[in-house]
Amino acid sequence: MFGWTGTILRVDLTKGKVTREATDPQLARDYLGARGLGGRIVSNEVDPTIDPLSPSNKLVFAPGPLTGTFAPSAGRFDVVTKGPLNGSLAGSNSGGTFGPEVKYAGYDAIIIEGKAAKPVYLWIKDDEVEIRDASAIWGHNTHDTTDLVRAETDEDAKVACIGPAGERQAPIANIMNEMHRAAGRTGVGAVMGAKNLKAVAVFGSGAVTVADPERFKAAVIKARNMILAHPVGGTGLKAYGTDVLVNILNQTGALPTRNFQDGHFPNADKIGGESLAAKVLVRPKGCFSCVISCGRVTKVDSPAYAGYGEGPEYETAWAFGADCGIDDLNAVTAANYLCNKYGIDTISMGATIACAMELFERGIITAKDTGGVQLTFGNAAAMVEMVRQVGENEGFGAKLAEGSYRLAESYGHPEYSMTCKKQEMPAYDPRGVQGIGLNYATSNRGGCHVRGYTIAIEVLQNGAVMDPHVTEGKAQLDITFQDLTAALDSAGACLFATFGIGGAELTEMLAALTGVDYTLDEFMRIGARIWNQERLWNLKAGLSKADDTLPQRLLSEPIKTGPSAGEVSHLDQMLPEYYALRGWDEQGVPTKAKLKELAL
Amino acid sequence: MAKILMIHPDKCTGCRNCELACSFVHEGQFRPGASRIQAYTWEREGISVPMMCQQCDDAACVTVCPTGAMHYSTTQENLVEWDDELCIRCKMCTIACPFGNARYDAASSSIFKCDNCGGAPECVAFCPTQALEFVDDEQQVRSRKKAYAAKFKEAFQEVR
Amino acid sequence: MIVKYFATIRDLTGETARPIEGAPRDVRELLQQLAQRYGAPFRRAVFAGDELHDQIILLVNGRNVRYLQGLATTLQPDDEVSIFPMVAGG
Repeated sequence: MFGWTGTILRVDLTKGKVTREATDPQLARDYLGARGLGGRIVSNEVDPTIDPLSPSNKLVFAPGPLTGTFAPSAGRFDVVTKGPLNGSLAGSNSGGTFGPEVKYAGYDAIIIEGKAAKPVYLWIKDDEVEIRDASAIWGHNTHDTTDLVRAETDEDAKVACIGPAGERQAPIANIMNEMHRAAGRTGVGAVMGAKNLKAVAVFGSGAVTVADPERFKAAVIKARNMILAHPVGGTGLKAYGTDVLVNILNQTGALPTRNFQDGHFPNADKIGGESLAAKVLVRPKGCFSCVISCGRVTKVDSPAYAGYGEGPEYETAWAFGADCGIDDLNAVTAANYLCNKYGIDTISMGATIACAMELFERGIITAKDTGGVQLTFGNAAAMVEMVRQVGENEGFGAKLAEGSYRLAESYGHPEYSMTCKKQEMPAYDPRGVQGIGLNYATSNRGGCHVRGYTIAIEVLQNGAVMDPHVTEGKAQLDITFQDLTAALDSAGACLFATFGIGGAELTEMLAALTGVDYTLDEFMRIGARIWNQERLWNLKAGLSKADDTLPQRLLSEPIKTGPSAGEVSHLDQMLPEYYALRGWDEQGVPTKAKLKELAL
Repeated sequence: MAKILMIHPDKCTGCRNCELACSFVHEGQFRPGASRIQAYTWEREGISVPMMCQQCDDAACVTVCPTGAMHYSTTQENLVEWDDELCIRCKMCTIACPFGNARYDAASSSIFKCDNCGGAPECVAFCPTQALEFVDDEQQVRSRKKAYAAKFKEAFQEVR
Repeated sequence: MIVKYFATIRDLTGETARPIEGAPRDVRELLQQLAQRYGAPFRRAVFAGDELHDQIILLVNGRNVRYLQGLATTLQPDDEVSIFPMVAGG
């Protein structure tokens, strides 16, 4: 096989057994890798009704076929599992350099099953695989864990690990790799912690081989040049990072503010990419094979929040910033560093604190609950303290660690949790941007922007422009983005490559690399197949049309101020068309005809 | 005028495109272990530095080589070349190079050492941030020197 | 009327915002006025010949002029105009 390694590693932590199996070429062809292949494995092997934190769940680390080559900005991998936040076929995508190392070690996927009796870590050096005792490392933050594991394995080993949050199985815990990159969402860190798996360390001396080297190199050079010539992929992201989005979303009036109570934040500029570049940026950073370099190496000097690390990204700056009514960039950056070390999803963490702030201001929780902390919107010190408490499992932190849905529900007010399928919605207000609202409501893993990023067209003018306030055409827009992204994720590419290239260029690189005669049609069909596979499994897991919705606030309370004042989400105008175009019945169930068409 | 492969670590993002390009042009596959250039990243500090053969004028590898396999190129300026035919794989060069830029690869049974890709280094072509430059020796430090000179220009210029 | 600048547009203008005097009738007239003020680099960034440069995102009260009337979009005295280069993130 070319592009793929041809081998899958299976680790049974209960029995302490490691086995290898051949990658099924048909499965590889039909699901590519990463999210698609990992999803197929979970779909085949995990009972949809089990408890995600039980040993019956599986955790799959999977790079894509492009991962490990010099396809531009295509070095990514997915972690796929049954997610603890909402029980869906979930997972998260990450960059850094971990994914390529898994390919060089010789694997298309690493399947983790069962549960170790005591804390362990996995050490994979090519075909030598050991399950090692992690009792001396358990309890350490992700940065120290990385150094400790390297000291026992190889100083250049790539390490994916959980922090204290994952060890405690917090449903908003993430998996960090290379200290600063995150497989952030859906609680993948909790699943890893529930298996008593502290880290996966990989060192690979093998190769990724190419079916048609000349054709691949030509396709890569063409793709590289297109991305580098694009204003966003080529210069914008490197200069300002993703945080450059704060101002344009705010000027559009769709920057969720104070737990989605509003869509406009007057001091947004203070936490935006321009301010980040001026105040805390040290230099840009790039993931494996990346030509874009959107990563931010940053430093905070102010004594109250002093620290050094990477980030914040847009979502993080929003979650700890506008969503909490906070305009202090140093505090936001400090919260980001804490989350990276404790291993916590920044989106879910910030949004959960925002929810708690609203509960506090409404008197539903009081200073007695928060241990005396005045948890009000705008209180930056309180926000940072809450993150610390979550990481240390102290005080009110223990409740916040459950995520905003369980938090709000425990106080009898789930309506103040700004979630879809119990996962916190990201940094775009569906009332100001109709299409992203439909994506939030229909996303298989819950409140998610990135797997159907219609913002690119509705706000960012990337190739085309659609009015964010209208619903017409948005159902098809969502489907196109969802399918393209599913295929792109599964190939191992970074979403930001689409600031430059599209499905055609990805298909050409895939075909030249693997020797499979992919067409753009097949590439999009793969995406649709992966989306429907996730949907089918979710239905068996107990999710349904009833979950394809948005919080009532977004459906009936208009945005109060700013350019989108007066707007609400018109989800009801888009959802039926979405189901129909997807080939699903009125209950949102894929029809037999559709499944046959996708060979599911 | 000789051409120098110049490094600008301040521009390196740690993307390792250089390693991939090098292994691809020499081995036809992606095996960073086979790359003659390595970009090392220190995650805590957020710094990455590419390292490759410095093509020394008085090269330790040439001095110790018993067969003349490591020799100064007669066709290209500023290049220490490795001759596969003459090499007996004694690995003395790998011991002698103080920078670690010559290494023995068991998989291919050869010495890996930068050859400037015959005058058009692939690593330079693939670096997305110009952290690697293949420049005339006269202009080797021009960008760096000029960047600092520009700070004086900003401070003192009359015309804006 | 106020015009706000973001990202690299701030480098071209040397400021983050400017209140507008006079009463430009439409976006084209406003941009001509601004190009007079900020010079050739700004003009080159916002105009491609006679049209709005396709790498510019221009909002009037939060609405992208490309789904309004483009450069012919009329302006009112209390409007807020935002000028961005193409930006992105996640």
